[in-house]
Amino acid sequence: MLAFAHVDSFYDRSHILHDVCLDVLSGEVTAVMGRNGTGKTTLLKTLMGLTDRMDGEIRLDGDDLGTKPTFQRARAGIAYVPQGREIIPDFSIRENILMGSFARNDGRREIPALVAELFPYLMNNLERNGGVLSGGQQQQLAIARALAADPKIILLDEPNEGIQPSIVEEIENVIIRLNRDVGLTVILVEQNVSFVRRAAHRFAMMEKGRVVASGEIGELSDTLVHRHMAV
Amino acid sequence: MLEVLFIGLSLGSILLLVALGLAITYGAMGVINMAHGEMVMVGAYVTVLSGIWLGTNIFVAIPLAFIVTALLGLLIERVVVRRLYGRLLDTLLATWGIAILIQQAVRLEFGLTFLGIHIQGLGPGLQNVAVPPFLQGTFSILGADINRYRTFIILVTAFLALMTWFIIYRTAIGTQVRAIIRNPKMAAACGIDVTRVNALTFAFGSGLAGVAGVMMSGFKTVFPDMGTSMVVDGFLVVVMGGVGSLLGSVLSAGILGEINGLVAAATNDILARAVVFGVVIAIIVLKPKGLFALKGR
Repeated sequence: MLAFAHVDSFYDRSHILHDVCLDVLSGEVTAVMGRNGTGKTTLLKTLMGLTDRMDGEIRLDGDDLGTKPTFQRARAGIAYVPQGREIIPDFSIRENILMGSFARNDGRREIPALVAELFPYLMNNLERNGGVLSGGQQQQLAIARALAADPKIILLDEPNEGIQPSIVEEIENVIIRLNRDVGLTVILVEQNVSFVRRAAHRFAMMEKGRVVASGEIGELSDTLVHRHMAV
Repeated sequence: MLEVLFIGLSLGSILLLVALGLAITYGAMGVINMAHGEMVMVGAYVTVLSGIWLGTNIFVAIPLAFIVTALLGLLIERVVVRRLYGRLLDTLLATWGIAILIQQAVRLEFGLTFLGIHIQGLGPGLQNVAVPPFLQGTFSILGADINRYRTFIILVTAFLALMTWFIIYRTAIGTQVRAIIRNPKMAAACGIDVTRVNALTFAFGSGLAGVAGVMMSGFKTVFPDMGTSMVVDGFLVVVMGGVGSLLGSVLSAGILGEINGLVAAATNDILARAVVFGVVIAIIVLKPKGLFALKGR
């Protein structure tokens, strides 16, 4: 289990997250929801140690993660698929995928069979540069890179943002498969309520850097959605 | 003509050895290392001292200088530079201070002059290194007299440049270095130990500069201030080639070396230097990111 306890997070002097408490259960999809600018991305970045400073505790199966540097959190089994993908444009698809394998603890550097099964297009174009791919393909590549780390937990930051509608469903199905078939724990930042209702077991609603509501997905009522997500 | 081109190529080789280290450290870490020139100087003094105290020649000095300067680079990274990542101007000032410290350490023989003790080969004076006899003189190709020692410099540089290319483009640690140059945060999120890789990169770059010092000691006098102008030349090469681009550094080192050699042969060294500066200024004005830009300065 991954547990945030009274987490505050900062960029320079900007105080972004306030007293966040959240439990992410193993084997589940936890959706983080809320309007733009409420701290969803910062929550993931704080978990990866990519903000400037944090207070409070983050524990993974009892281990204190909050004081560790970013690369050790990755090696503890947390893989990050950031918003905007952050593919390296002049690395080949192969190099981009294998970048994830630096987080493996057994030192193996290989493309997992799962990636080959999920993303045949990537496997057939391993020597092409990451930068020439479309948004949807880059999203697949970012997920493949995360899977190359052989992670326990995968963090997905708005995986369907800026992707053409025909690919969205494909990516949604991949995410559901990663949880249901592969058994990965997923933290999903997402604004699409119907996808969240399909994919997630639990949700956390954010407002002004705080978690204002959380619970099982059945408790995600339309009034709650309306109150915290309507623009 | 061939002789002149050859001199230019050997000048470019020295520039390249100095610039390769800067290209990687400046590109990967955003650190302006003003003490890089002092690594050249320390490498030259390793040659002088190993000649005097061990009786060995330049071939022993090359690996020895690499090890000494790499360790010195590692120490500087660990003690000072590591604490200043992301603070470009602070790294400039701090490493400048380190540069002065190292120069004075050599000039004052690590402070021993105050105790009346002198170490042969150190101190404020000029030092000379004898090149082994079979590297002296010239041989002729196509009617041109080619200097043996300059040939040696070019070969050593070609070997080290190829080795650097292999490490950066064909090994796991090199992939990590390239990933850090492009996106340090994502590199860390992929499990790359950025701190450790940066320290090793810094040490490797310093080691290359040390070897450049060994090469220089064979045809120039060795003195405590000799590194100061080298760091400027190194940055000229890096900036002109494009920050973070190894290929850019190789080409711009070659171009600047040749310009220097050609103008110096036609006129004199002072004018050659002025022309080199002029060319670099022109290129920065026309292509602000350098010839092969990965990212801006």
